Amino acid sequence: MDLQPVIAPPGFRTGGDTSTSTEEYFLNMGPQHPSTHGVLRLVLKLDGESIIEVVPHLGYIHRGLEKVAENQTYVQNIHLSDRVDYLSSHIYNMAYCLTVENALGIGVPERAEYIRVIVCELQRIQSHLLWWGVMGMDLGAITCFLYGFKEREIITDIFEELCGARLTMNYFRPGGSFADVPDSFIPQVKSLIEKMKVALDEYNTLLTGNIIFQKRTKGVGVLTAEDAIQYGCSGPVLRGSGVSYDVRKDDTYSIYDQFDFDVPLGTKGDCFDRYVIRMEEMAQSLKILEQAVAKFPTGPYRSKTSASIKLQPGTYYSQVETGRGLLGIYIVSKGGTKPYRIKYRSPSMSNLHALNHMAQGHKIADLIPIVATMDIVIPDIDR
Amino acid sequence: MGITGLATRTIPKYLDPLPGGTQLVDSIEFVVGWARANSLWPLVYGTACCAMEMMSAGSSRHDWARFGVEVARATPRQADLIVLAGTIVEKMGSRLVTLYEQMPGSKYVIAMGSCAISGGPFYYDSYSVIKGGDRLIPVDVYIPGCPPRPEALLQGIMELQKKIRTEGRRNPWVIGGVNENPSIDIFSTAKKNWAEAGQKQFVADDEKYILPSRTKPSRKAVDDRPEVTAREKKLSGMSAGEIDKVVAAEFRGIKNVSREEPGQGRTIDYRVSSRNYIHFITFLKNHSELRLDYLLQIMAIDHGDRFEVSVQLMSSSLGHRVFVQCDLEHANPQIETISSIFLGAEWHEREIFDLFGITFLNHPDMRRFFLEDDFPGHPMRKDFSDPTRVIPRPY
Amino acid sequence: MQNNIDSSLYPTTNGVGDFVRSMLSAQSAELVNNVLAIIAILMVVALSPVVLIWLERKVAAHFQARLGPMRVGWHGMLQPMADGIKLIFKEVLKPEGADSFIFFLAPILPATASFLVLTVIPFDHHLQVTDLPAGVLYVIAVSGLGVMGVLLAGWSSNNKYSLLGAMRSGAQMISYEISLAFLMLLIVLLSGTASLREIVFSQQGTVMDWWIFKFPVFGFIAFVLFLISSTAELNRGPFDIAEAESELTGGFSTEYSGISFAMFFLAEFVNMFVAAALTTTFFLGGFLSPQFGIAPLDQVLNMVPGFIWFFLKSYVVIFIFMWFRWTFPRPRVDQLMDLEWKILLPLNLLIMITGGIFVGMGWV
Repeated sequence: MDLQPVIAPPGFRTGGDTSTSTEEYFLNMGPQHPSTHGVLRLVLKLDGESIIEVVPHLGYIHRGLEKVAENQTYVQNIHLSDRVDYLSSHIYNMAYCLTVENALGIGVPERAEYIRVIVCELQRIQSHLLWWGVMGMDLGAITCFLYGFKEREIITDIFEELCGARLTMNYFRPGGSFADVPDSFIPQVKSLIEKMKVALDEYNTLLTGNIIFQKRTKGVGVLTAEDAIQYGCSGPVLRGSGVSYDVRKDDTYSIYDQFDFDVPLGTKGDCFDRYVIRMEEMAQSLKILEQAVAKFPTGPYRSKTSASIKLQPGTYYSQVETGRGLLGIYIVSKGGTKPYRIKYRSPSMSNLHALNHMAQGHKIADLIPIVATMDIVIPDIDR
Repeated sequence: MGITGLATRTIPKYLDPLPGGTQLVDSIEFVVGWARANSLWPLVYGTACCAMEMMSAGSSRHDWARFGVEVARATPRQADLIVLAGTIVEKMGSRLVTLYEQMPGSKYVIAMGSCAISGGPFYYDSYSVIKGGDRLIPVDVYIPGCPPRPEALLQGIMELQKKIRTEGRRNPWVIGGVNENPSIDIFSTAKKNWAEAGQKQFVADDEKYILPSRTKPSRKAVDDRPEVTAREKKLSGMSAGEIDKVVAAEFRGIKNVSREEPGQGRTIDYRVSSRNYIHFITFLKNHSELRLDYLLQIMAIDHGDRFEVSVQLMSSSLGHRVFVQCDLEHANPQIETISSIFLGAEWHEREIFDLFGITFLNHPDMRRFFLEDDFPGHPMRKDFSDPTRVIPRPY
Repeated sequence: MQNNIDSSLYPTTNGVGDFVRSMLSAQSAELVNNVLAIIAILMVVALSPVVLIWLERKVAAHFQARLGPMRVGWHGMLQPMADGIKLIFKEVLKPEGADSFIFFLAPILPATASFLVLTVIPFDHHLQVTDLPAGVLYVIAVSGLGVMGVLLAGWSSNNKYSLLGAMRSGAQMISYEISLAFLMLLIVLLSGTASLREIVFSQQGTVMDWWIFKFPVFGFIAFVLFLISSTAELNRGPFDIAEAESELTGGFSTEYSGISFAMFFLAEFVNMFVAAALTTTFFLGGFLSPQFGIAPLDQVLNMVPGFIWFFLKSYVVIFIFMWFRWTFPRPRVDQLMDLEWKILLPLNLLIMITGGIFVGMGWV
């Protein structure tokens, strides 16, 4: 039988097969695959079960969001920023509003700052809860998924009461938020803090301490600090490699400088480090929430802005820390009510770029914790 | 024909003439319909936001397992149901059709959310979004919302179950039709209406548009909102003035185009010529005082007459930022790659190549990034127009 | 003791048996009796997956703080029926380039293997199709057939995921079979017989005479090892690396649809029942009622028929299997091999040697 020579799919850098004993082959994962968190497509070059090279293919959810944004006004664009990274929609809203506020040169009242911090930290916990559940499910512990979602629903309830939406919030506006918080907001957050403290212990019992889980994640997908910076990784991926950069600490925005919290750091840069950092970040977010709830002020929730927002010509940039890492929003204005160009500097794209580096030499099964601990959101990459 | 044909045609042909035969076939149909309705195994498929609500529907509170929708299958061969959760873009479209074809009959489709119904918020202006899943595969149930609540998805499943239960040999399961890809003309009426609406003045004396007096606009009066000045930001790292000093010592002709006065902000913009581009970036990265080791992003802007490539650098240890802008001619834009200096630049440059058509010389892997290889043109250019894909916003 | 067992062997002395014998000649009576036993076992086989699928979904649901199937029948009792009927009436697809004969043969093998094992399992004093003197060897030989189905399925599907899954599964099942065989042989060594029925009778007495307790400490270790090896042999979570939904989409069954997939699904649950039945037979006193050495209580417990005890014990073991599945994450394929070859196998050998010493010294 004539064997057709295998034509390598595009994008591979490693050389051809040199050994005679084994034959390399290519495996396509995705775009519809349970552990690629959406529509990521990976093409793997394999030797048996060992990965030689990974080539991600993107664009399966590229919606042209930045192009759509050019024809919408500054306020209309808030709702599009929800849909970039739907797991951090409040934080994206906030980053967008910060950029516009920065351009207008206005600030927000103190109560609005507190609302923003509380809501964003809730969102961070919510995003991490989903990540924790999905990570457990990807590794085969399906029960984690259900447990993570149990607490996530409580936070979703708070958001629903806050702004009427469960996922795509569209809550913040330049100058504050579109409505004040309901009276039940602070008691709900307080009760959530208590519940989450118990839940975090439960999660650690269920997954963190498990010997199989530790074997699957320790020493897998190591990323050194130099490489992490080279690839432009951010968030827990960067901090897992031991680089202390958290926008909340190092480039404080809103009132994060008034709170006492730590930035957890990893030492080895493997999947377990990234996992522990995310777990610890939830605890730190709770710490911030506790402080914020204790001194939640009264007063106005929104500052005065003109009815139609017009930006002076120029370029404006601000950055925040989402659950996934550094988000920068860059607005180019040529005057008028619509932006000339908006660019989202999404954390997931740079993080995913390091995948090939992290996965080389590991087994197919190791790809799962590596992708899971990156916590990528595909629309955040594709936009 | 298979088993479905056996049940719908062959068996009834011999059984119907017999006394009680019709009832027998009907009862078999009832059982099969009941089984299909109560055992809908969904395919693990989700592209965007709606997938999160779909996951919520599977979580403890909503628990779609109550309806027998529990066994989410990763392989289309064993699935009965695709929930189109999220936007479908052109590149995914062909894959979705393949997935649907890989599923064995009887199979059902739920379009969840406005993106899967019509393209939703990306209906206008988007060059890649397919305006509705029913242009690719037949859809049984539509669930509006952006995203729909999990309860809405559960209701959609129950509606689908109702539909399946009525299936039988008089109303057999068939692969439904697909909506024709409508030309833009379909929207001309809407466009006309929009245009009319724009000209019509909604004045109070127009009786048709008078609002009942009790429904006042609920928007709160703006008066109680105070004017707040921006907070003073605590800065770390080198100030713009210091950076400027370091840069000026090395490069004479580099223009500082910052909006803010030097020494005020932390972000500093430089404009370089494409000749100096590589040298300047290398200098910024390797300078021992600046320590700009972290590449935030590379982006491009189409100014109509020229392209601008903006390289945004940050110091991961100190925190200051330097943005470098470089103008390129519009006709044949190309520039040297910096992916040898910053590994992370590779993908950003591919994205720019894909969306703006700016070629990066010596780039190791200059392929399209987001779009299919045969996509005509570069959509983020201001002069991009493609009437087959883009429906321009009529207002 | 030996005579006692002989007298209770076939032909049976229950009511049906007496009636059949009174009607027919001895030989044909035995034939009819065996046919009845086979029918009974077929019923068990046909019903146990239905019960188990429902149980698995409910147990999983309640572990996960939800309800599970609720809409069909009482608490979704009819859910497996709905799934089964739906799968039967679903289109069967064969991927292009697949080897037709093997592709459709493969799903039948795992189920067949587990059906065959059921023939030697003693459900009750008289409820057993046949009691082979070398029953343990038969079980080891026949259960090895199951892996053939998985391997063939993966190979014939013409799909890389299937092939990877099948190869993983082949490596895994062959490795863990060694462990299982050693543990079965340990019981043979301890009880001095290879007949499953006599193994059960060797555990007569109180609860402390079951092999799990009778062989002090090591018996319990052997029981745990048997559970782990069985789980791996079953390709069940957490050792479901052959299916590994999040890595290989569906592993060896990726390309199977409709009734072919239903056969794999069925085999998975029959296999689970078989594994639980074997665990019960070897370690938990089979159909014997638990005796605690308290005369009045023991008499009450003795009044419950043996097969009820058998099923009770089996379902406890099945519950443990489910508990495993819904708690632990999945190990990697090389870690699974490490577990077998570096931990379980040396431990097995150690227990075997200890067992030999115990038997030699007459301590058990």
